[in-house]
Amino acid sequence: MKKKILIVEDEEGLRLLYKEELETEGYEVLTARNGKEAIKILEEGKPDLVILDIVMPVMNGMEALGRILGKDKKIPIILNSSYPGYRQDFMSWAADAYVMKSADLEELKNKVKELLKKGKA
Amino acid sequence: MKKVLAMVLAGGRGERLYPLTRDRAKPAVPFGGIYRIIDFTLSNCINSDIRRVYALTQYKSISLHRHIQIGWNILSGPLGEFIEAIPAQQRIDEHWYQGTADAIFQNIYTLQQEKPDLVLILSGDHIYKMDYRKMIAFHIEKAADLTVAAIRMDRKLSREFGVTEIDNDWRIIGFQEKPEVPKVIPGDSEGILASMGIYIFNMELLVRRLIEDARSDSTHDFGKDIIPMMIGKDQVFAFDFRHGDVGRMGYWRDVGTLDAYFETNMDLVSVTPQLNLYDSQWPIFTYQPPYPPAKTVLIEEGRVGTALNSIVSNGCIISGGSVKGSILSPRVMVHSYAEVEDSVLLEGVDVGRYAKIRRTIIDKDVQIPQGMKIGYDLDEDAKRFTVTGSGIVVVPKWIKL
Repeated sequence: MKKKILIVEDEEGLRLLYKEELETEGYEVLTARNGKEAIKILEEGKPDLVILDIVMPVMNGMEALGRILGKDKKIPIILNSSYPGYRQDFMSWAADAYVMKSADLEELKNKVKELLKKGKA
Repeated sequence: MKKVLAMVLAGGRGERLYPLTRDRAKPAVPFGGIYRIIDFTLSNCINSDIRRVYALTQYKSISLHRHIQIGWNILSGPLGEFIEAIPAQQRIDEHWYQGTADAIFQNIYTLQQEKPDLVLILSGDHIYKMDYRKMIAFHIEKAADLTVAAIRMDRKLSREFGVTEIDNDWRIIGFQEKPEVPKVIPGDSEGILASMGIYIFNMELLVRRLIEDARSDSTHDFGKDIIPMMIGKDQVFAFDFRHGDVGRMGYWRDVGTLDAYFETNMDLVSVTPQLNLYDSQWPIFTYQPPYPPAKTVLIEEGRVGTALNSIVSNGCIISGGSVKGSILSPRVMVHSYAEVEDSVLLEGVDVGRYAKIRRTIIDKDVQIPQGMKIGYDLDEDAKRFTVTGSGIVVVPKWIKL
């Protein structure tokens, strides 16, 4: 069965890019535009991993992180931000990885693969 | 100087203290006439020069919040000092605190804001006098990540405590929560080292371990989960309470049951109590409304207002009745010909004429009608009140008699 990934990203272009790239990698991809949507989709779609942007309208990634873990404390979460500063935020330490946004998606894809593998073991 | 933030866990329901905890959290239960249980921990903080203190509350917290707001607003905000109650906010997740560790985890943003070097985690449930500075110095000297205060207890009591196993250097090498067969103290086969629920953590490591714990199957408890997780991985030490014990009596009480509550109060009216409230070097602070001084009135044949071997708080009037071996909180009235013996009367209790009270705890504002006897026929008392295993009667708040 295909692994399901939830992408939480407010920027439409980026959301589509991630979706396309990860589908090519063989994943099923769900998308949300902010933290609030993410929580709803988390319950309905039951993803295996979450890629979470931090700066978003309605509910930001840091708040969503706590809420997501409250519903599923084991689900792997990758924080994905253009800003390194959020690493200072203690809550960011609760994520499994912190990947900086980059034109090259290799690091993100590798992290996804690694964390999904870990989850299976 | 290391920057220290104290977090007092004050959310305990105190179910075994029911009905005293029906309307208030355990730390807010009145004790020793004018105090609340949490006053001892908060006074320890002040006397140890720890002036950044949060009390984390949860259940039935109104009276606790009021007490802290009115009674403990004694520090200087502009100097960055505070004693503040934080209610459970469900900021991170939509549930109540699931355990002691979860209570701190849910307040991770508070740690983020304060950015202390060390976090001193305390319980608002215990009565003792301790200089936390001694423990902090020990923590720093050992270059510890976590230091757990420990007190010697009889091994027979092991099922009530977290029991630490230490090596010669006081490094904790094992920890059992409420074990039937405990690890005894080396060279002391009758003693165990019980955790007092007092912890000092290096802040950053605390946050990391709390997160690990939050993301695993766990009861989110310091004793059951966090300490065992850290042993062997981090630098974990036990601090001998005797080195920080201000009273030097080894006095530390968890007034967890009604019987323990009664006995701990009664100790105070003995000639030399184990808990010394008169040490001007270690004052116990509390909030006291501006009540007038206590007074006794009437000296007539068979109608003499007396209080013997007792604590009588401000605002009390003993008018032609007799009080022996008892603790009277503020505003208690004892009317003519009434007798109160070996009892704890909380604020505003009114004992009517000819009433007789013995070995009874009476909660706030209860009116005892003229001629009523409590504590003399326990079978009869048990029909209306709580009667404990050792025969102490507890009369709850709001009851109409």
